[in-house]
Amino acid sequence: MKGRWAGRALLGVPTAFLLGLFVLPLLSMVVLSFWRTENYHIVQDWNLGNYITLATGGAYVTFLIRSLVMASAVSLVCILIAWPVSYSIILYGGRYRLLLTLAFAVPFLTGEVLRVIALQGLLGPLGLINAMLMALGNAPLRFIMYTNVASAIGLIYLYLPIVVTVIYLSLLNFDARLIDAAKIFGASPLRAFVEVTWPLNLFGTLIGFALCFIPCLSATLAPRFLGGPNGTLYGMAMAQQFGESGTWALGAAMGVVLFLTSLIAVLLVGMRVNLRRTGFTGFGRG
Amino acid sequence: MRGTFSKILGKYALLATLIISYLFLYLPILHIGLGSFARNHTFPYPPRWTLDTFGRLFANSLYQTAFFNSLVLGLGAAALATLLAAAATLGLMRHAGRRAGLYLTLFVAPLFVAEVLIGIASLIFNGLVLELQGNLVSAILANAVHCFSYALLIMATQLYRYDWRLDDAAMVFGASPARTFFEVTLPLIWPGLLGAFVVTFIMAFNNLEISFYLLGATPTLPSVAWGALRYGVKPELYALATAVNLVVILGLGLMFVLMLTGTATFGHRPERERAV
Repeated sequence: MKGRWAGRALLGVPTAFLLGLFVLPLLSMVVLSFWRTENYHIVQDWNLGNYITLATGGAYVTFLIRSLVMASAVSLVCILIAWPVSYSIILYGGRYRLLLTLAFAVPFLTGEVLRVIALQGLLGPLGLINAMLMALGNAPLRFIMYTNVASAIGLIYLYLPIVVTVIYLSLLNFDARLIDAAKIFGASPLRAFVEVTWPLNLFGTLIGFALCFIPCLSATLAPRFLGGPNGTLYGMAMAQQFGESGTWALGAAMGVVLFLTSLIAVLLVGMRVNLRRTGFTGFGRG
Repeated sequence: MRGTFSKILGKYALLATLIISYLFLYLPILHIGLGSFARNHTFPYPPRWTLDTFGRLFANSLYQTAFFNSLVLGLGAAALATLLAAAATLGLMRHAGRRAGLYLTLFVAPLFVAEVLIGIASLIFNGLVLELQGNLVSAILANAVHCFSYALLIMATQLYRYDWRLDDAAMVFGASPARTFFEVTLPLIWPGLLGAFVVTFIMAFNNLEISFYLLGATPTLPSVAWGALRYGVKPELYALATAVNLVVILGLGLMFVLMLTGTATFGHRPERERAV
């Protein structure tokens, strides 16, 4: 009897915490998105006006499409870089594996503002690359100053660490003896990779993709400080509704759009995964 | 012959990607680190050394207040997230039974919602339902939501291989559940707790996207840095970023030394490693 109460408390308190501080706020955002704001005041008047504005205002549609393209491109590039990186850490890291992965976590943990500052030190008009080019007597590169390319480089810089960590963990828990088994039975290294390593680490890769795609889709800082006049992304436009323009209801509707888009992306990705095929055996010691 | 050639080529291609990635990640950090110690801060090659920038940073009272607030925010959010995540992890592994999947989905859901959305949703909830102005406590609570999922994952990797028969053994010999927890479970899982605490503290300390909407007029280091960044990059910001980077590197370095000497394992099990 006692054990059951302990179990209820252990699971109940965190559940209540998340319901109160995570689910309820998200629900209130959904409710607000159906109201409207007038002169900085919220009017409780149920209507679809915000969504109609978002669907018909050409700029918002452009921002959303640009954000989707940006987030997909950045996540793909991150995965393409993260695979060889985590694979070589596993292969050649030896006893320094842990140090090598922790070294990837350092930039991730220093916060987005400070990393955007570091990026401006790299890409800006007076940054490392351009200053070096000018010191050597060349013209500065225009495409990395306040453009979408700069935003993309910035987002890759911001989220590469988490993709590397996730794929590294996936590879660490992957039984490499399976590769040996495949090779013993005559598979070429390429075939062993395509038929054994890749499918068994697909789940980790897709989680890495989602954990990069979602924050990129709602990015506010990188496009603001690295992107140019044509670089406005959806998240940045949403943040403005809560700041300068004070149109909270429209911002809430944009939040709902972002939330649903990420949810659809996660579901699309999740449907492609057969958990058993990826070697997932359940949580805990069943 | 061809086989070994392509093998060597593959090895060097992999290592080259690794090195280029580290360069990409660390060049900006090193560049601004050098810049913050140099008089010619935009292009410190070669640097003319000075500590003036750090002097100005530490003497600035706004940065001092902001640092103190960030510290409170980080400690509060990390403590709350670690405690709740410890309870959730134990509950999931011991008591969830068939509903484990459901609980797990709820517990990791914050990972799949962008930080800025958590910030905005909490702002709306505080403003409309609770009618609260921005304050540090709301920011701590909202950060704890995001940190909770990370803490849960860190602890789950640690507790995944925990042997619950030890608890059962203690209970069989007559220990109360509380005594079992403090004398058997806790001593074995503290590295996971500490690891989760350190990581979530650093995350909440440096967070902007959640805190920004909830802090009201309370300054924290990231929000002050954001405010200053709107007016262009100043050497003080380089110094601030460098100082935080140094502290984070020290913190993770300490964790690494603890792991290397075997004092703590932080979810890392050497015996699980296999040669590829």
